[in-house]
Amino acid sequence: MRTVFLVFGLFVIICSCEVQGDLTSNTIAPAPVSPISILKSQGDFVPTSGISVAGGVKIYFEANQYKLKLENFSISDGPDLKVYLSKTSTPTEFVNLGNLNPAMIYSIPESVIISDYKYVLINCQQYNHLFAVASLIQN
Amino acid sequence: MKKIFFIVSFALIVNFSFAQGCSDAGLCSINHAFQSNEKEFRNTIEVAAILGAGESDVKYFSPYISYTKRFNEHYSFTSKVAFSAAKGSFGTKSQFGDAYLIGNYTFKEKNKKQWSTLVGLKFPFNSSNLKINGYSLPMDYQSSLGTMDLFLGTNLHYKKWDFNGAVQIPVINSNKNSYFKEYSGPDDFPSTNLFERKPDALLRATYSIKTTNNKFTIKPNLLFIYHLGEDSFENIFGKRETIAGSDGLTINGNLITAYDINKQNGIELSLATPFVVREVRPDGLTRSFVAGILYKYSF
Repeated sequence: MRTVFLVFGLFVIICSCEVQGDLTSNTIAPAPVSPISILKSQGDFVPTSGISVAGGVKIYFEANQYKLKLENFSISDGPDLKVYLSKTSTPTEFVNLGNLNPAMIYSIPESVIISDYKYVLINCQQYNHLFAVASLIQN
Repeated sequence: MKKIFFIVSFALIVNFSFAQGCSDAGLCSINHAFQSNEKEFRNTIEVAAILGAGESDVKYFSPYISYTKRFNEHYSFTSKVAFSAAKGSFGTKSQFGDAYLIGNYTFKEKNKKQWSTLVGLKFPFNSSNLKINGYSLPMDYQSSLGTMDLFLGTNLHYKKWDFNGAVQIPVINSNKNSYFKEYSGPDDFPSTNLFERKPDALLRATYSIKTTNNKFTIKPNLLFIYHLGEDSFENIFGKRETIAGSDGLTINGNLITAYDINKQNGIELSLATPFVVREVRPDGLTRSFVAGILYKYSF
């Protein structure tokens, strides 16, 4: 029985380190917001209970493409945070724009009718917990 | 002490010689839990390393360790822990995959026929949302399906033949994968955001050939796995979408060569490849080739 425990313990030690290599195949590189982009709407983030958030969001239009940019943005740490363009202030009808990355410019899919979406949400998808809401004001 | 040294050395060699791994849904390897030919010893420990080639350029290395306790000639219990490492164009990701608990009951042999049954559970160590530098990864890079699965199976041993039948049913889905093809550079993998997987049914026929000195056993086997329905995911609009073509049949050919070093120690080499695969394989379990080596110690 000692052998079993010894071998198992060693196996666990050998394998227990999670290994993460470099990301070698990146996501689609987002185009930067150019000076000729038109600012269509913007808003400031308001946190939900127990969350701290700072900064805002701006939506630009350029060459038939809407882009979403986070401005001076920071938020409490959370697992699996996503950026949602949403019709309501809760995540019920939304477009999932992907993982939260404050440095990223998010391309909004062309099929989205932007005027229908009045909010930008920061939502933890893993636990379905809303972190912050920005109400968009037309420019 | 020599035995411990041998087992530990083996574990070290298999861990450091290869840097890749694979996620096993569980169904393909549960036939080991049926094996009841070991009667002399009450305990068996197995250490295995499996190399595999998956979709696109993904390569896998997945060691596992299992422990079987035989309470009497009828009842046995197996626990198993699997680790997985995947390496491909997204990078390298490795972590523990799943833990298995399997109970087996072997009936008395009658007219050279022996039946056995098993019931088991698979517990995931993660929610299948492993990332690299914050970027979501497809299911092909995940070490677990992120589901707690129930296994139900039966085996008929008749002369040199073994026939397995089993089902693997996801009972609790905690899959939180967040990979979107739309937001990814490569086009090789389908979207699997909040992936939901359907059950599998398995049939396997194995023929055992022993050499005259009883040291080697060659076990060619044919494995049929039917995926019982189309899997689904939540699209970028938050709507659930089924993945057309993700159901259907996979047929694998597998050749196992077992060598009994002595009564207590044995080694197995397993080679497998699929002959028929499903049209779409979003779960990342399909391999174009698998090679595994296993060391078994009974006491």
